[in-house]
Amino acid sequence: MSKPIYELVDELPNGGVTVMALRSLDFVVPGEWQNLIGFNNTITAVTGESDPAMVQAIGERAVALFNDKSQGYQNALWLYQTVDSASGALGAAALANKVGQDISFLGFLKNLTPKPEKAQSIDFSVKLVVELVAFCQINGIPGDSIGDFLAALGDYGGESLMRMAALVCFDGLVPLGPDFALKGLSALQNMSPKELEDNSTFKGVRSLIPGGDAAGQLSFITSSVDSVKGWMTDFVDSRGLTPESVVDNLTKFVEVSKDKLDYLGAFLDMTTNYYTHTGIQTLTRRLIERAVAEL
Amino acid sequence: MPTMKRWSSIVLSVCLCGLFFFATGCASKPPSPYAQVQQETTQRGAPKAVAKTATQGSQFNKFFPTSANGFERVYAQEKKGFAEAKLNKDGKNVAMLSISDTKSLPSAAQKYASSTAKIAGFPTLEIGTTQTGVLVGDRYQVKVLSRDPAFTKVERQSWIQKFDLNGLSKLS
Repeated sequence: MSKPIYELVDELPNGGVTVMALRSLDFVVPGEWQNLIGFNNTITAVTGESDPAMVQAIGERAVALFNDKSQGYQNALWLYQTVDSASGALGAAALANKVGQDISFLGFLKNLTPKPEKAQSIDFSVKLVVELVAFCQINGIPGDSIGDFLAALGDYGGESLMRMAALVCFDGLVPLGPDFALKGLSALQNMSPKELEDNSTFKGVRSLIPGGDAAGQLSFITSSVDSVKGWMTDFVDSRGLTPESVVDNLTKFVEVSKDKLDYLGAFLDMTTNYYTHTGIQTLTRRLIERAVAEL
Repeated sequence: MPTMKRWSSIVLSVCLCGLFFFATGCASKPPSPYAQVQQETTQRGAPKAVAKTATQGSQFNKFFPTSANGFERVYAQEKKGFAEAKLNKDGKNVAMLSISDTKSLPSAAQKYASSTAKIAGFPTLEIGTTQTGVLVGDRYQVKVLSRDPAFTKVERQSWIQKFDLNGLSKLS
C-alpha cells in the first residue's frame, strides 16, 4: 500500500533539483507548468470550488477512487515511481530533493558515469512507454491503445506536457543528441529480447508493459516509439530545441557545467524524479476531475 | 563544583527544551481531514469506490454533445461508471462534460430529491459554484462544469441540453 494520495500531494516539494530542472524548461512549454502542490489547493485550482465542505467532499471521493485498486490509479503511480527509481543509477532522487540546491554538479561528477548510448536509448524508450501505459491506466483506455494515446498527446497540457518536455529534453536531446528518436528506434530494432530483459529500467516496470513475453514487449515498445517519433520530432523542430539551448536554460536554475554534456544526463537521472513529481500531479488532477463530476 | 553544577543544569534545561519541542512538534501536526476516509477505504473488506454493476463508461460516449460553433469536444476519461470530455475553445479548456452512474454513489442521485426545476423534463440542480447537473432515469448524473469564469451558468444549462438525455434515460 502506498502512502495516502493526499499525503503524496501535500509533500510535493517546491524546490530542489527536480523542480528547478523543470522550471528551466518553461522556455519549451511557456506557462504550462506552475508546480501545483497541496491536496486541497489542487482541488480548488482544478475545480474552481473553494467552499470548505465542497472541497472536503471532492477530496474524500478522490481518496476513495484512488484506493479502489481496480481503477488503475495506483498502477499509474507505481509506474511513474518505479521508472524514476529504476533509471536513476543510485536511486538518489529522493535524497536529492531533500537537500535541494546543496547538490552541485561538480561535487557529484566523480560519482557519475555516463550511460552507454544503448542503455540510454532503452531508458528513453521505456519511459515513453510508461507514459503511454500510465495514461491508459488513468484515463481508462485499453492498455495497448497507441492510437488513443497519440490522439491525446495533441491535447496534452499542464504538468503532462511538461513531463513530455522533460522526457524529450533530459532523456532524449541532452544525452542522445538531436536525432534521439531515431537512435532510440534503431537501438530497439537491433536488440534481442534478452538484451531488453537485462536492462534495469525495463526490469523495474515490465510487469505492466503490454506484450506478454519479452519479445512481445520489445515489439510493443518499438511500435510505440515508432508511432510517437513524429510527434517528438515535431515538438523539437517547431520549438527549435537543441541540446545547447536546453543546457543553457538549465544552467540558470541548476549549477551545472556546459562542457560535460555526457555527464549531464547521468546527473539529471540521478538527482531528479520528474516522472514521479509530475505524475502525481497528473493523476491527482484526473482523480479530482472525476470526483467533482461524480458527487 | 558550582560551575559544574551550573553546566549540568544548563545541559539539563537544553535537553528538556529539546524534549518539549520534540513532544509538542509531534502533537502539533493535526490528523488529516482525510484520515477517516483513508482508513475506511483501505481496511480489509472496504467497500469499492465503483460499484460492480456500474455501466461501462464506453457506453456513455454516444450521448455526449458533439463539437460545434468553435467548441471542440475532446474525450478525456472513460472508466467504469464514468465518462468525461473536455470542452475546449480556441485550444483552451472552458468546461468539462460528464456522465456518471450513481450506482457507485447513491447520495449523488439522492440530492436531486430537493430539486425544484427541470431541464428537458429531468430534475436539475446547481451544485457548488461551477456545476450544473441533471439526473436522468433516476440513475445517471449528467454534469457540465465550468473551468473558465466566462463559461457561465447559462452556458452550462444550454450545453447540458445538448446531451442526448432521452437516449441516456433508455439505458437505465
